Amino acid sequence: MTEEAPKLLEIKGLKTYFDVEGQTAKAVDGVDFDVRENEVFGVVGESGSGKTVTALSILRLIPSPPGWIEAGEILFRGRDLTKLSFPEMRKIRGKEISMIFQEPMTALNPVFTVGFQMREVMKQHAPGTSHQELDESAASMLDLVGIPDAKRRLKSYPNEFSGGQRQRIMIAMALSLQPHLLVADEPTTALDVTIQAQILDLMLGLGKKSGHTSILLITHNLAVVAETCARVAVMYGGKVQEMAPTKRLFGSPQHPYTRGLLRSLPRPDKPKQRRLEAIPGIVPSVMDFPKGCKFWTRCPEKIERCEKEEPELREVSPGHFCRCHLVEPAPAAVTGATTP
Amino acid sequence: MTEAPLLEIKDLKIYYPVHAGVFLRKVGDVKAVDGVSLHVQRGETLGLVGESGCGKTTLGKGIMRLVKVTGGEILYRRNGEQPIDLVGLSRSELRPLRAEIQMIYQDPYSSLNPRWSVGEIVEEPLLVHKPELTAKQRQDEVAWLLEKVGLTGEQAYRYPHEFSGGQRQRVGIARALATRPRLIVADEPVSALDVSIQAQVVNLLQDLQEEFNLTIVFIAHDISVVEHIAHRIAVMYLGHVCEIGPSRDIYEKPLHPYSRALLSAVPLPDPTLERPDRIRLEGEVPSPVAKPSGCPFRTRCPLAEPACATTPPPLVEVKPGRFLACPVVARTLP
Repeated sequence: MTEEAPKLLEIKGLKTYFDVEGQTAKAVDGVDFDVRENEVFGVVGESGSGKTVTALSILRLIPSPPGWIEAGEILFRGRDLTKLSFPEMRKIRGKEISMIFQEPMTALNPVFTVGFQMREVMKQHAPGTSHQELDESAASMLDLVGIPDAKRRLKSYPNEFSGGQRQRIMIAMALSLQPHLLVADEPTTALDVTIQAQILDLMLGLGKKSGHTSILLITHNLAVVAETCARVAVMYGGKVQEMAPTKRLFGSPQHPYTRGLLRSLPRPDKPKQRRLEAIPGIVPSVMDFPKGCKFWTRCPEKIERCEKEEPELREVSPGHFCRCHLVEPAPAAVTGATTP
Repeated sequence: MTEAPLLEIKDLKIYYPVHAGVFLRKVGDVKAVDGVSLHVQRGETLGLVGESGCGKTTLGKGIMRLVKVTGGEILYRRNGEQPIDLVGLSRSELRPLRAEIQMIYQDPYSSLNPRWSVGEIVEEPLLVHKPELTAKQRQDEVAWLLEKVGLTGEQAYRYPHEFSGGQRQRVGIARALATRPRLIVADEPVSALDVSIQAQVVNLLQDLQEEFNLTIVFIAHDISVVEHIAHRIAVMYLGHVCEIGPSRDIYEKPLHPYSRALLSAVPLPDPTLERPDRIRLEGEVPSPVAKPSGCPFRTRCPLAEPACATTPPPLVEVKPGRFLACPVVARTLP
């Protein structure tokens, strides 16, 4: 189904760098992927993989200095977001692309009521709407995300809500203008599992209900991706290492990193192993990724070529891309070396 | 069950007072741990799972006597000796026992002193508990400990900020091992680590357990990890233990309505799995200051009966090794 859907967001060769004490940290170093209309697309990666910086780049929220978008295009509904001016970008944020952050504790301003903060979002994009109308739509959004007694709760401050409720409020705010794309950066990481399940259901349900909202879900949790996303990109060292429809990625992972990640997870649903299969070594800091393939220092299948030459992201079977010298590209797709 | 357990907790209560008003009068208690009974066998790993606020961390701190215990007993039994009740001990009486009971903390960033070298951090427990060692002996011991946890002796001269999260957690483990403890309380030891590093640390803990015959209380909210490492699991909710049993058993056939909901919410890394059995809990955990009467879970429980509101259900052995605090479910069991 996703194969035919047109592309809503297309990222091509994105590079986002930071200046760290005179050195350049290549946090995102050539990322390519696309999110189709009405799709839930997952980006998984460990700390330092560049997944959050990718998300912030899409919204042009990279603090500058020290950061900047060095190269690449972010095409959203035909426009390149990297070329937009600040006021143009403001019109897109919230209304067309909105974002949910990891920390529901800090993403809301503690000195304003929830109602004030929700009205503020809507006012930006619909100037001239009366206070009462804004209040009504804010209350109905809170109601939709399951906050009881919504009308009265608009007068409450963020500290009067629990963590799960705050994340619901964030979702309500993010979806209040029915954006085309919702970027969710670790939306459930700070929450308990039963609340996580509630929040994911809610996000996916509301996304579907609106009829035109795609979700870009950024997480370190492979299990969450398995249960929610149609397609997924695995990032490591500021690059997409593997990308495929979710079932394909989990069913026949090609990249040694993806395979290692999946093997290192404890599987309570499978026969018990005595030991987990860990990936050796440590995740290098952004400054210390090796030359050549970013993963070769930890890769059990490394060959000499990996140290010198960085592999391209190549299509290994229809819709399945992998960045590894050892994985042969599909015969028909030898030329399609760059973008999907 | 033939051998007497190393640790036996009986009806443990840990309340934090709540003060309010101008004179900060005590207005109530946060009943963080409210009548917990369990035991841990020698060489066993007991997993404590539950959501934030369920009291699992407080229980761990209670075992360490890092918080004030309100009531109950914590019996610690050395091989073939009479049990010692840790609750009744004074600070000076506790001190020698501290060498035998050590803790590994969640946050590998804040649990290591940034001004001390890794060698000094690991050496500190030796200075306190093994004053008879010479400086040279201590140094050798530190190098040996660092190697045991997968670091090198030369790294003793480096400082915590030079290490990654996983390596710091290894330092924390080396420090805990320095006094050759029998019991280790590990509070979310892998939660702050990356997926690929988590497995390394879990494997390390299992290897060390085998080598040193350690008994571990493993506290974590990630049930998949606990299921892997623990022999038995205790599920906690609002300061109570709902259910205890062998970990595979608990995972595959949870009995308590809360454990059923909790386990069904655990996502699995397999997109082909259908999860029609998923139970969605409504609402949120009540505040531990104003806990429901009777069974703490009754306000969200699909099986709740009027009788559940009267007394908190006791933990009853429903099958050999399987303890359950829900009379409603217990009735339906053969």
